[in-house]
This record gives sequence, C-alpha cells and structure tokens, in this order.
Amino acid sequence: MSRRIVGIAGKRLVLSNLEKELYPAYGFTKAAMLEYYESMADYILPHLGNRALTLKRYPDGVEGDFFFEKRCPSYRPEWVKTADIPQGSGERMRVCLVNNAETLAWAANLASLELHVPLNRAVTPETSDSVVFDLDPGSPADIIDCGRVALILRELLADLGLSSYVKTSGKKGLHVYVALNSPDVSFDHTKKFSKAVAIVMQRNYPGLVTARMSKGYRNAKVFINWSQNDSSKTMICIYSLRAAEKPYVSFPLEWKELKRLTGRRDPEKFQVLPAEAVRRVAKYGDLFRDLLSIKQRLPHL
Amino acid sequence: MIKKNSTGKVPPRLSSGKDRETSFQSIWSGTISFSLVAIPVQLVKAVEPGRVSFRMLHGTDFSPLLRRMYCPEEGKIVGQDEIIRGFETAPGRYIVITDEELESVSPQRSRTIEIVRFTDINEIDRVCYNHPYYLVPARGGEKAYSLLSEIMRRTGKAGIARFVLGEREYLVAIKSTGGVLNLITLHYSEEILSDGELAPEADAIDAGEKARIKKTIRKMTTDFAPGKYSDRRRGKIVTFLKKKLKEKAAVEAPEALEEEAVGPADLMAALQESMSRVKKIH
Repeated sequence: MSRRIVGIAGKRLVLSNLEKELYPAYGFTKAAMLEYYESMADYILPHLGNRALTLKRYPDGVEGDFFFEKRCPSYRPEWVKTADIPQGSGERMRVCLVNNAETLAWAANLASLELHVPLNRAVTPETSDSVVFDLDPGSPADIIDCGRVALILRELLADLGLSSYVKTSGKKGLHVYVALNSPDVSFDHTKKFSKAVAIVMQRNYPGLVTARMSKGYRNAKVFINWSQNDSSKTMICIYSLRAAEKPYVSFPLEWKELKRLTGRRDPEKFQVLPAEAVRRVAKYGDLFRDLLSIKQRLPHL
Repeated sequence: MIKKNSTGKVPPRLSSGKDRETSFQSIWSGTISFSLVAIPVQLVKAVEPGRVSFRMLHGTDFSPLLRRMYCPEEGKIVGQDEIIRGFETAPGRYIVITDEELESVSPQRSRTIEIVRFTDINEIDRVCYNHPYYLVPARGGEKAYSLLSEIMRRTGKAGIARFVLGEREYLVAIKSTGGVLNLITLHYSEEILSDGELAPEADAIDAGEKARIKKTIRKMTTDFAPGKYSDRRRGKIVTFLKKKLKEKAAVEAPEALEEEAVGPADLMAALQESMSRVKKIH
C-alpha cells in the first residue's frame, strides 16, 4: 500500500494506505479524505481546538467496523498536544487536542473519519460554551421536518434575545447552536434551558416535536435531544465528514438557505459533499465563526 | 397437615455458606433466642402471591397513572405536606395524630425473636394463622438451628414469641416442618371473631343418614396434594397475556418527564410567552 511522507509545519508525518476506498460506494479514498481535512484545516481547527477529541475510526472504511477512541493513543507523535481531563470515576484521562494542522492530519490518517468534540474546553470541564439542540427525526419524519422545527426554534430563541446557528448533522438531522461563551455557564444551566425549550416546543407543536428520548415517541416526530448538553457528551464537529454511503459533511447553513431548502422538500439537497464544502468555505468563510466568540446570556437562569 | 415441600413451591435451599445468601432475599436478620440459646437466622418469604397485577394506564398515551389524595371540599389534589392523620370519633369529628405521636407508641426495633413459651402445635387454632415465613440459619448458626428444628419436629412443639417487623409487633409461632423452621404470624385473640352463634342447634339425626354421610366422606378421602390444584383464573390470564404479546407488541409508556423537573417556573412562562408570539406571526 502506498505511503507518503509529508512535512506539515516542519513536522514529519507518514500517511499510509492512501488508495484505500473509505467510501467504496462513492469512490472516496483515504487520500481524498486527507486532502479534504487539509483543505478545511483553517476552518475546522478553531472548532476542534483545546477540546477533548473523540476519534471515531473506520480502519476498513465506512462499510467495515468502527471504534471510538477517547483516550489519546500512546503511540502519538510527541508534538500532539494532550490534556488530562477528569472522568466521572474521579480518575483522569489523557485526551488529544487538535490544535494544529499536523495533529488534524495525524488524526485523519488514523482513519478517524468522524471528529467528535464536547461543548466544553478541556481546561474548563464544567463550562458549556454553547447550548445545542440536536434535532433528530424519527422515521418517517426527515430532515425537512427538522428544518421546520429549526426555523420555529430560531424564532423562539430570537424572541428571547438569542441568536442561533444551524448546521446539518451530515446524517438525517440538524444541529442548532446558541453561543454563550461565558465562564460561569455550566451544563446544569444549558441542560435546564434546552430541556425547558424542548418541552415548550413539544407542548405547542405536539404533532411535530417530541422532547422524549424513547423510540416510540420519536415516531414521525422530530426529537429535540436536549440531553446532549452534558459534560459527558460530544457532538460531531462542524466540517467533519460523516460515515455513511456518501461522504457528507456536517455543514453550516444560513437561515435563509435553510428556509429555502425546507420549502423545496428534497432531503438530499440539504447535504453537502466535500468538494462543495471546500468551495463554499472559500467563498463564504466560516458561518460558525462567531459561535466561538459572541457572548449571550440565557434568560431566567 | 400440609407439607410445604409438596406444594410445588421450592422452599429456600438449606445449603451452607454464601450461595444461600444470594439465592433468596432476606426480609430481616437477627437471632432466635430462649433460655441461653441464641441462633442467628434470616427471615425469608414463604409465599409469593401469584396474583397477576395490572398497572392502570392513561388510555390516550399509556402513561402509568398515580393515585393522588383529592380534597372534595376544595376540588383539588392535596400535596404530601398538607396531609395529616385523624382518628374518626364520630361522623365528621376527628382526633389528630401526628407522626411523632404514632412513632412514640411504635415498638422498638429488635434483633431478636425471643421465644417465651413452647406449646403443642395442635394447641394453636389454625384460624389464628396469619402469614407464613421461613427462617433460615445465618452463618455459624447451622448446627444449633438443625438441633432445634429436629427436637421441635419430634416433640410436635411450637415456640411462641413476640417479634417486631417494620412498625408492628407480632405474636408468632415458630414450628418445624421437614427440617425447616417456619415463622407464622398469628392474629391476636381480640382479632378473632367468635364462631359461637354460627353452629345451628343440634336436632336428632337419623342413624341411616349419619351412616350414609360418613360413608361418602370416607370414599372421598385422599391425602391432600396441593400441587394438584392451581389458580385456574391466573393460568388463563397468563396464557391470554402470552398470546396477546405474540400477536401485538407491547405499547410503550412515554418517558417520564417529571413535572417538577420541567424547568424553573419563570423560564417556562417566558418560553411560553415567546412561543405564543412566534405562533401568532407564523
């Protein structure tokens, strides 16, 4: 199998198995995947930086087995930044921090197609930088129903004085974020808030929304998964690839774009492939950039 | 006499050591004592009522329902903190009893079953039998336990004791059946209703009729085999439930979103207010 030795920022890295078809049905190779992450580095790194990376590795491609890796592998190059984070058990765990392009390339080379990160930074384990509403459609509801829910949610949040951002999950759902960026906002606050929002949404749109996790209740409805607002949970990082038949990307949408897509009623149109992702960030920049900086306060908490 | 071992129910195994402790659940542990004897024991269930019980559900979404205290006067549900006890002295008149007052007359918890008398088993009228339990030896008590149960079995004696379980003090009989000590809670004599008035006055009975009934009874007499009889209604319900489960999957209760955990009241109110404005515009 092919190998290529590359130098990134003066660091030497051996990239391997470059011809491997990671998405066989789509013909997307490991080389293409590495190239994608390399092109997107400037946009994705701010969102990965200083957060505990969970690797989701697909050594045999998306049709093979995968495994999660939270602990930073011991065979990491010495230049990979790490942090020791507390776990529920009271023990600490060493995790990788993807703070630069060479670490991103290294992680991608481990066939970590999906990059998951928590809502907190490693140094502040209890501080949630944002609130997330993970909109998950229960079949036969689909991403269009998620779009309808997201649009209502955006109005509701706006009425409370909160601006919000939306991205595709790269699978069937949408993720709506509210930036907070305040050191004194804990997951207790964000969970309480997101749960209350989910319940109010369910009460007002009982045919469309459910705040309940159990499968029976998700049937034909959009589940607003508020429980993702937890220090133990991670979200798929924006611009990360997803493991599915096609290499869809978790990609940000402008609200007017979401409105247009929701009206068009074609679920496929929501999805963004790597080439389009590279083209769009080059043209529009990072639509999620401000999520990392603007400060907002949750009302009544 | 009913033999427990022939009921088809498996009595707790009397093997030694650890596996016994995990094979059944102990309700109470302590010692049986009398004179200078003290035997460490555990109390376990002797009967498991076979009743098929049903949950009451809300027909619209299958939520399991709760019982709540309702005040007909105010037409509302009364919270736990507003509920007190009263003893009705006359219609509409009550003496109020506090938890502390009730506590003060409750028996002290005790770790012993103190046998105060032994008596012939047959002396205890069966109408007094209330609820049966098994006693099993705890670690180190096996030898003394075997000895006591063997002697009680041979002599046909039952031990009478006072025993505190939960909030109440029970009068109990301890007897030996097939090497196992049974503890049976007894009804206090004041609970037993007299049967004095129930027997009809004896008339002169025709000798032929007497002989005929005697003969019929003799013909119908066999050993009692409890295993031959089962709760037929329960059997039918179980069969029916199994059939229904095969035909149609069980319905699912909604996940509990406990009311008090919904969210702070002013947040919920603010959200609903915003929600209403948003709905108006849409």
